[in-house]
Order: sequence, then C-alpha cells, then structure tokens
Amino acid sequence: MAQSLAVETHGLTKRYRTGVLAVNDLNLAIQSGEVYGFLGPNGAGKTTTLRMLSGLLHPTAGSATVAGASPGSSASLSRLGAMVETPAFYPYLSGRDNLRVMARYCGFSVNRIDAILKQVDLAERSRHKFKTYSTGMKQRLGVAAALLKDPQLLILDEPTSGLDPQGTVEMRALIAEIKNEGRTVMLSSHLLNEVELTCDRVGVIARGRLVAEGTVDELRSRSGTSTLLVRATPADRAQKLLEELLGKDKVRLASGQFHISVDPSQAGSINRRLVTDGLEVTELRASEQSLEDVFLQLTETPERKG
Amino acid sequence: MIASFNAERLKMRKRWANWILVGVLLVILVLLGYVITYVIFTNPPKGFRSEVPPSVLKKEVFPENMVPNILVGMETIGAAIMIIMGGLSMASEFGWTTIQTILIQKPGRLAVLFGKLLALALTSLLVSIAVMALAALTSYILVQIDGSSSSFPPAEALLKGFGALWLQLAVWTAFGMFLGLAFRSTAAAIGGGLTYLFVIESLVGGLFRNTAGLKEVLKFLPGINANGINATFPYTYRNPNAVTTVLVSGTRGSITLITYLVFFVVVGALIFRSRDVGA
Repeated sequence: MAQSLAVETHGLTKRYRTGVLAVNDLNLAIQSGEVYGFLGPNGAGKTTTLRMLSGLLHPTAGSATVAGASPGSSASLSRLGAMVETPAFYPYLSGRDNLRVMARYCGFSVNRIDAILKQVDLAERSRHKFKTYSTGMKQRLGVAAALLKDPQLLILDEPTSGLDPQGTVEMRALIAEIKNEGRTVMLSSHLLNEVELTCDRVGVIARGRLVAEGTVDELRSRSGTSTLLVRATPADRAQKLLEELLGKDKVRLASGQFHISVDPSQAGSINRRLVTDGLEVTELRASEQSLEDVFLQLTETPERKG
Repeated sequence: MIASFNAERLKMRKRWANWILVGVLLVILVLLGYVITYVIFTNPPKGFRSEVPPSVLKKEVFPENMVPNILVGMETIGAAIMIIMGGLSMASEFGWTTIQTILIQKPGRLAVLFGKLLALALTSLLVSIAVMALAALTSYILVQIDGSSSSFPPAEALLKGFGALWLQLAVWTAFGMFLGLAFRSTAAAIGGGLTYLFVIESLVGGLFRNTAGLKEVLKFLPGINANGINATFPYTYRNPNAVTTVLVSGTRGSITLITYLVFFVVVGALIFRSRDVGA
C-alpha cells in the first residue's frame, strides 16, 4: 500500500433516522501495518463506525478514506476484508461453499479457499453446513471470508464475542498471525485484556466520540493518580493507623487490601510506621493504573458519575 | 455484475427451497392442468352440464391447446410460486444479514442487485422451459392414451407462447424481489405478495371486472394485463361457459408488463443503492 494511513476519517458522523446520534465528529488515523484496537462500551458507536468504513452505512456528515479510497467503493472493498458484527453466511451452504460464493462475488479464483480454511483451522469441518457450526467456528469462517481477498486492511468487529476461553486464545493467535503477515488490523472490542494483548494502539470511543487514543501504556499514564496497595494485619489496627496518618479520604479497604491514594515514594515511611507500631506488613506495592481503570474513567457516563 | 451473477447461480442452485418450489409448480401443472382435467372430461360426473360435450372439452389437455392451457394454468399458481421465489431470494439476505457479508465483498451494490436480477431472470427462463417441456410431454402422453389425434401448434405460436410465459413469470419474480427489497422481511414480502395476488388480482379483479369505473383501474394491474396477453392464445374450440371479460389487448398487456418489469428493477435499484444496510 502506497499510503501510510490505512484508515482516515474526518468529522465522521452518523445520525440515524430515529434521531440517535451514534457517531459524532469522529477523527481516526490508523497507520498501515498496525493493529488498532477500537475500544468502547456497548452502544458507544463502534459497529456503526465499522459499518460506515465498510460502506454499509452512509455517513450523515464527514468523510473517510479506507485503504486509499472512499468506503464502499470497489477500490476500497478490493483491499478490505471485514467481519462486521456476527458473521452472517448462508445456513444451507457448507463453510466451503459459503467461501466459494464470496470468492465468486469478488471475482477471485477459489484456489485460496483450502489454504484459508487451513489457516483458520476449519478444513476438517469445511463440508459441513454453516448452520451446524459452533459460535467459534462461525467466527473463524467470518475471518476466513475476510481473508479471502488477501486484503491489506482487515476490520474485525468483536472477533472473540461468544467464544470460549480456548476459542479466544486461538482467535488472538490468529490475529497475531495476520499482523505478522504485514496486514493492518482494526479490531473493535469492549474486552480490555483482548485489546491490551493484541493491539499496538488503541482508540477509545464513548457516546460516539473518540475520547482517547494512544498506546496502552500512554493511556495508562493519562491518569496521574497513583495508588499504594497495602496488606497488613491485624487489619482493624492497620486501618486506624493509616487513617490517622493519611486522612480517611485517602484510605479504602477492598478485599482485605488497603488502596491508599498517595505518592508511591511514601511507601518506605508508611511501611516503617506500620512495622514500628507492631503490625505485620505482608504486601506493599505501587498499583499500576490498569487499562480497565482508564477505560472506566474515559467512558463513564454523566449519569454514572452522578 | 457477472461475478455476482455467478455467485447467485451457485446460491440458487444449492438452495433446496427453490427446487421444492419448482417441483410444486410442475406437479400442480401436471395434476391440475392435465391429469385431473383429462380424467374428469373422460369420465364426466353425473349431472355434468356443458354446452360443449366433454369429448371436445378434453381437447384442452391435448397438444393443440398446449399454449393456452399453460398460460391459463400459470396465471395464478405460476405467479404465486415466482413471487415466493423472488421474495425469498432478496428478503432472505436481510433475514440472515448475509447482505452485509455480500456488500463487504468487492462488487458494489448495483452489481450485486443486477447479478441477482440476472440469476432470477435465468431461473424464470429455466422454469418456463421446464413448464413448456413437461406440458408438451404430458399432453403427448394423454393424447396417446386417449387414442385421439392432435398436433402441436406451429413453432411460431409456441415461441410466442413461450415468450408470453417467460415475461409473466419474470414480472412476478421481479415483483417478489421488489417486495423483498422494500420490506427486508421474508414473511412480509411473501405474505404481501400473495395477499395482493389472491385478494386484489384474483378476487377484486374477478368480481369487479365488469364494474364501470373500477374496470378502468383494474386495467393497470399486472395480472389483468397478463390475462389480456393470454387471451390472444385461444383454445381450438369455443367454450361459452368459460368466457371471461378480457379488459386489455395483448399488445397493451405486453407493454404494461414490460413497464412493470422496468419499474421494479429501476425503483428497486434506487432503493437498494440509497438505503443503509444494518441500520
């Protein structure tokens, strides 16, 4: 691909006829060759965005370039493989025949089908009807159909949705393999660990707007607040001492562990004080802001904030 | 478009529902259009009254009347089956949401739609051929069983009859597909299409055919126009009991049906191109 951006949107907006503003002034820039996680809670506008990028929905405003061409155009679609929402195939056809149908739509030879079925580990069940497939097999067939065109850009919408742990691990491995082939992957998900383990960069969408973008580490460091985690016994005495020392509002007990909102550099003095007072400190460490914490902060609705 | 056409052919060929529909159509044609008619006219029930003797009426199923017998037989049942087939073909894509999977492939919306239209046109052509062939075979067997003599119409009449049949089946298929596009629901497309066919075309068209005022409106309906075309292929005998009012000429009927065909295709394409998918 000559261009360095695989996906670029400017002010992309979609308001449905019902009046719902699903995507609002979205600006994205996805580099070629990266795995981009598109993260957001359910209803945030992820699937609507992916549908617009695939040419299924017409934007209300704004513009987009997908694989160097306008979404839904033949030029864009020929370089794009996508699985948007649940993989949809003909239930009366086998997995192989479904891929044959898709290959015919693309005007491609069916020669690649065997290799792709093998890549997604569906070769053995390829002659069985799609309606007999498990959720994991359906997801894998969806990825197979997306790979059929040998695309430069792959859009996968919640690819691990409905999969068991084994299937999830296999899907992650498949995405890693696809990345290693040099393709750009845009992966939408609401599962944080999936994004954390798979993606080079992450965009967080909430209420139709992009609220944060960066690497996982960059997002983690966005929040300046730090926490010390302390486990000490007896817990009641420890709590009393910590509250006297730091103030009630800075100490929170959860699951037998104290979450203390102070600079981690104070860990030594806090430890010394606890030990001096005859308490047994079994754990004391700085807590790294998890992606989950950042995600919750970024996507918190005004109602939730109260 | 050719790529889409090839994909559609594979889907249609592998779909059992299509084979069942064609099978039902052919069985009804042979049983109702030929075998039962022949049995009744050969052994008329007691009290059977007709200005035309049964020995003449049974010529309806002989080769000489092949074209009018097929066209009259297909007017309703052929229309119903093709509405279902067209509706299934389009609306199922929305029901299974496979339309999303297709549109994400390469061809583009209009190519997808015209590929489907071509495949349905081919299907209606093949159904027309099957109907003609089976009717010819059945009428030939029946005339042999009867020991009578009857010859097939001249090639020109057969070709014209075939053209009339294909046009009508194609229009009803396009109607079913149009409803599938408009409603995006298999039940609504088929239910709506069959309700229209049986209530408006058959019931209202049959009862109010001679009612002044309404008659002028009826002249615009596809079924009434198909009936006008079919009337240009008369039986070889005159049956005063079976006379119905023909509202339009064959030429007007043909023009109207072609107009409907173009309308369904053009308006269907506009709808398909402009509407969001998966909204």
